[in-house]
Amino acid sequence: MSLFVIGYYTLLLVASCLAAYFNKRTWFLLIFTLTLVSFILGIVGGVGALRFVAIATALLAVAGMVAYAFREFLIAIASTEMAKELRTAPLTAAFGLFVIFTYAIAGIFAPLIAPHGEAEVIATAFAPPDETMLLGADQLGRDIFSRIIYGTRNSVGLALAATVAAFILGALAGLLAATKGGWFDQLMGRIADVIMSIPSLIFALLMLSIFGPSIPVIIVAVAIIYAPRVFRLTRAVAGNVVVMDYIEAAKLRGEGTWYLIRREILPNSTAPLVAEFGLEFCFVFLLVAGLSFLGLGIQPPTADWGSMVRENATLISFGDITPLIPAAAIALLTVAVNFVVDWMLHRSSGLKE
Amino acid sequence: MGDILGLIGKRLGLGLVILLVISIIIFFMVELLPGDIAQAVLGQGATEENLAALRKEMGLDKPAIVRYLEWLGGAVTFDFGNSIVTDERVTSIIGERFRNTLFLATYAAVIAVPLAITLGILVALLRYTVFDRVANVLTLTSISSPEFFLGYILILYFSVNWGMFPAISSLSQDMGFWELLHRTFLPALTLVLVVTAHMMRMTRAAIINLLASPYIEMARLKGTPPWKVIVRHALPNAWAPIINVVALNLAYLITGVVLVEVVFVYPGIGQALVDAVSKRDFPVVQACCLIFAATFILLNLAADVGAILTNPRLRHPK
Repeated sequence: MSLFVIGYYTLLLVASCLAAYFNKRTWFLLIFTLTLVSFILGIVGGVGALRFVAIATALLAVAGMVAYAFREFLIAIASTEMAKELRTAPLTAAFGLFVIFTYAIAGIFAPLIAPHGEAEVIATAFAPPDETMLLGADQLGRDIFSRIIYGTRNSVGLALAATVAAFILGALAGLLAATKGGWFDQLMGRIADVIMSIPSLIFALLMLSIFGPSIPVIIVAVAIIYAPRVFRLTRAVAGNVVVMDYIEAAKLRGEGTWYLIRREILPNSTAPLVAEFGLEFCFVFLLVAGLSFLGLGIQPPTADWGSMVRENATLISFGDITPLIPAAAIALLTVAVNFVVDWMLHRSSGLKE
Repeated sequence: MGDILGLIGKRLGLGLVILLVISIIIFFMVELLPGDIAQAVLGQGATEENLAALRKEMGLDKPAIVRYLEWLGGAVTFDFGNSIVTDERVTSIIGERFRNTLFLATYAAVIAVPLAITLGILVALLRYTVFDRVANVLTLTSISSPEFFLGYILILYFSVNWGMFPAISSLSQDMGFWELLHRTFLPALTLVLVVTAHMMRMTRAAIINLLASPYIEMARLKGTPPWKVIVRHALPNAWAPIINVVALNLAYLITGVVLVEVVFVYPGIGQALVDAVSKRDFPVVQACCLIFAATFILLNLAADVGAILTNPRLRHPK
């Protein structure tokens, strides 16, 4: 029995006693479940497993607290109307917002945050962490921490640009198809069918093999691959709006197609489109990360999360987790966006559990 | 019966048309190349005579339509010409690897499908409980992680720290079946994690959708025991969405397999495709893309046909 084990169980006991005393039923159940899980894992896996459970719980608790604090902060600075919406946000959504906010800061202020340059060789290959390098050096002796910070800007920026391109292409085609109808609608629908029946990664690889991996090619390729999904949604949403009486009235007034799209249809279909943008971003981000992992994304020496994982993968076979940090950063952002999208979908559909 | 066969025939026809269009896209996209294949192979510094000779050798002096028809004719009989990098037959590069990839996908599917459907139904029955919420967060995390992240985490724990499974799936001919399963366990597990998460979420949504329908409420109100509500009333109508979910996710496996093969250096078709893309070996790229697209369409077709077979309303369209 080490001191850690005794301390851990004492903490759990005190916490459950407090929960019981203040009549917090859900908290008590939660802590009780945690105690049971710790018992079982502690018996099976020993102190190591117990330590793992404790760290995981502590991380979760910290994440929850950060999310709560961030939500309160947002409520405090937002306008009255926004604050009302934010109050309904679950903790997961607040956590998502916090993560997105952090990434945005890291991306925008990368040169100020990163201690070293993006492609600056400052040490020997795979040098271990020291006081100047938080996470050590990569295969060419560049600071991994700085490259991760710069990678935020490059990876997220590229995915964002590609998503915006896909969105503009798809939404424009969808809106036009819904308002014009007829052969244009049919043609667009068939084109979307064909593109969607090719697996996205395969299609991207095909285009990259022909035009070579460069940033404009990646953006165009992703736009072509993901536009059909946006097209379908926009077409469906706008299709429901187009049949409304006020559209008919606007048409009789003699308004043009562009006015109809901009002033009548778009304002009435923003909610699902914004949620779709978030989802689409996740897909695009994962695809672009996959491409750069395969060495076909942003080309070196520009820092990029996907290629960083690949370049330093040899470290994993020595039990070092540093190469996994960029991959975890990708996963964290995708999860965060998904949390926020979940909340927005829930809000816009007016679903109550 | 003739009715159903007609419907399925129609779907098959549609699938074939789409496949034809895709083959046109795959073939003519290479034509969009600035310059042409010969230029890309020899580089900017090639002399005019060399270019002309290579064009002649590759048949590039013929019009594009003729070459397309020849290529398509070859593709139907699995003859995709020669690689422009190694000059090997494309079929000999891909053939063995295609079988390996199919093996890996099947391995993953055999584990993932029963697991995902059972868990999905369980989560749907326990919806809105703590269990459901935990499952929701876990599956979301699994979906949001890039495949290579999951793959490397598995390598870190199962092969580096605990030494249970090999990190690199090197296959050889004389391996026993169990040895094969052991060697390929980690790539299969990576695919299982991703696909199970997708499938669980879709199954859960489908079942919850079903359980909200009025006839289930009716069955409950008349006092049918819960297990009977599920088995007799819900399940017959649940087959259609479940079959759909399975087929769609198997199609998803096709894309996921590329990244996983690269992580585990698995000798499959995905690895071949990635190699060919970076070497700009167009015949191999075209062949791999066509095979992937065909498999993808076939599985989507299977989803459609499954839906038709299990849903009487689709069997008798108005």
